[in-house]
Amino acid sequence: MAVVLGISGNYHDAAAALVIDGQVVAAIQEERLSRIKNDAGLPIAAALACLDHAGVDPRAVDRLAFYEDPVAKLERVLVHLLKNMPRTWRAFPRALASQLGVKIWALDHLSESLGVPRDRVVALDHHRSHAASAFFASPYQEAAVLVVDGVGEAHATTLWSGRGHQLDLLASVDFPHSLGLLYAGLTAWLGFAVNEGEYKVMGLAAFGDPSRLRDVFLQKIIHLQGDGSYQLDLACFAHMSDAELGFGPALERLLGPRRPQAKPWDLGDPADRRYADAAAALQSVLEDTLLGLAGRALQLSGARHLCLAGGVALNARANARISQFLRTRGGDAGDGRLFVQPAAGDAGGALGAALLASAELGDPRPPPLQSAALGLPVDPARALEIARHLGLAPRRVDDPCQEAARRICDGQLVAFVQGRFEWGPRALGQRSLLASPRELATRERLNRVIKQREPFRPFAPAVLSQETSQFFAAEPDDLTPFMTTTAPVLPAALPRLRAVTHVDGSARLQTVEAARAPELHALLTGLEGLGEAPIALNTSLNGAGEPIVASAEDALAFWLRHGVDAMIIGDLLLERTR
Amino acid sequence: MTQRPAPPPLHRRLGARLRTLLRLCAHFLHPTRFILAPLLLVLLLAGVLLLLTGGLAYVTPFVYTLF
Repeated sequence: MAVVLGISGNYHDAAAALVIDGQVVAAIQEERLSRIKNDAGLPIAAALACLDHAGVDPRAVDRLAFYEDPVAKLERVLVHLLKNMPRTWRAFPRALASQLGVKIWALDHLSESLGVPRDRVVALDHHRSHAASAFFASPYQEAAVLVVDGVGEAHATTLWSGRGHQLDLLASVDFPHSLGLLYAGLTAWLGFAVNEGEYKVMGLAAFGDPSRLRDVFLQKIIHLQGDGSYQLDLACFAHMSDAELGFGPALERLLGPRRPQAKPWDLGDPADRRYADAAAALQSVLEDTLLGLAGRALQLSGARHLCLAGGVALNARANARISQFLRTRGGDAGDGRLFVQPAAGDAGGALGAALLASAELGDPRPPPLQSAALGLPVDPARALEIARHLGLAPRRVDDPCQEAARRICDGQLVAFVQGRFEWGPRALGQRSLLASPRELATRERLNRVIKQREPFRPFAPAVLSQETSQFFAAEPDDLTPFMTTTAPVLPAALPRLRAVTHVDGSARLQTVEAARAPELHALLTGLEGLGEAPIALNTSLNGAGEPIVASAEDALAFWLRHGVDAMIIGDLLLERTR
Repeated sequence: MTQRPAPPPLHRRLGARLRTLLRLCAHFLHPTRFILAPLLLVLLLAGVLLLLTGGLAYVTPFVYTLF
């Protein structure tokens, strides 16, 4: 029986997760507290918040597990800098200064900042942490595990066999060949910010024709091997030598010049259509590569189910294809299931490290992850105090979920803040901006006024779990509660779901059960009672470039900055006077 | 709210740093990696200097591939 704190950080998406006696007690991304998007430091505030939430003194922590090995990472950095000389001569001093000045001391800094004795601080393997975050939180006792990200210590893709408490490495593809860095390089070429704009590439892909550039990708950029692995043509990439740009001149010779950053998109313009075609080809090739890797992982492990982790596992369209592949494999292998932990990116490494260390200390595996609400709870009393101080006129309502449902029926945008905030990049009803899914104008208003993002980006629907098949060609599965997959919208449902249907007829749906998200479930039930479909447009409660709202203070700051019609914090209602 | 604990005494901090240094040496003195050891020694001296002067941190998109 042990108290274990898992930590990820020092690159991007710092996070902390607390596991006590094998149970996941809290998991928090540092950005929610520091209010710095994708905070790249060490998650000291998040770690202290996890401990505080559980009422645990830092000195009582039995093991503090860091999600990667800084020394092994230094070796990879050193070797690749030397290998790529003279291209790396500019980066060399800065890279080594950063490694030797800061990063190799991460365990010492954590020990000192959190007050955990140094001999209880350990470093684990990056990809093993990812694999553990998916497998140990999954509903499966036996599964293949596929980890696909940019790079850890040396691996960029790993295949694992998971059985009970055991995770065994089966195969790997090592840096500099990396699907994550392929996607990141193309994200940069399309003019989006790396580590942030990958979702935009996925949304853009639906507007393009993959067949136009698919052969270029498969012949000149990535080579798929017969055993499911892949190799990049490194001449197209610069991630081995340049920390600012992920692609090289060869990529621009193949696909054309990079798209200028922040230039407004016009998908009627042939130039922008070509960028959309490139995004579509990238998505298509990525999906094919992942299918090959998934098949290989299942073959090597002999398992039926698959867990997917790493930043690439946040690609909901690819997940939908893999899920379909698992369901329809022939013979005894059919009816396989897929699980993706909601914080599949580097933040999830904190959870994986904690679960690995917990298992090493002899604690049981946690029950399957039911809810992503693992953050800090909102305090409506604090919100009331601040609102009054700001001269606002909040009032209490008897049934906040019914109140929200009624307002959504009236066409209002409702900021909905309930309970503990979510773990991972998706708002799942605890820190959500909700609206009616019916009108396209709602999507326009959200995209242009509140979110200030590209008009092609879709919004997701949250639907009552038992009603899913009335509106989508899908049934609830292990992915849908966490919004990590997509499904086709049924043609008959399209007129009621215009604001949440992407151009390809799909939607990134969330299925809602009372046990997992009680307030959102009550709200959707309320919508149904008012004669509407039990579906709401559900997007994260944040503006452009902001982390998702965490506290009452953040919620009120959002209210002051953005033109939503109402905000409900616990049972407290704020409404915009017209 | 749990407060950030007071920094440990100097001898504890030095002990922790020594532990990391020993781990680093053990890693790079492995027969498959000792060719990197002389380079690392020079860089470590530079690293210690950086540490004493407050350290450095960079944030760029591909920082995790290089740094």
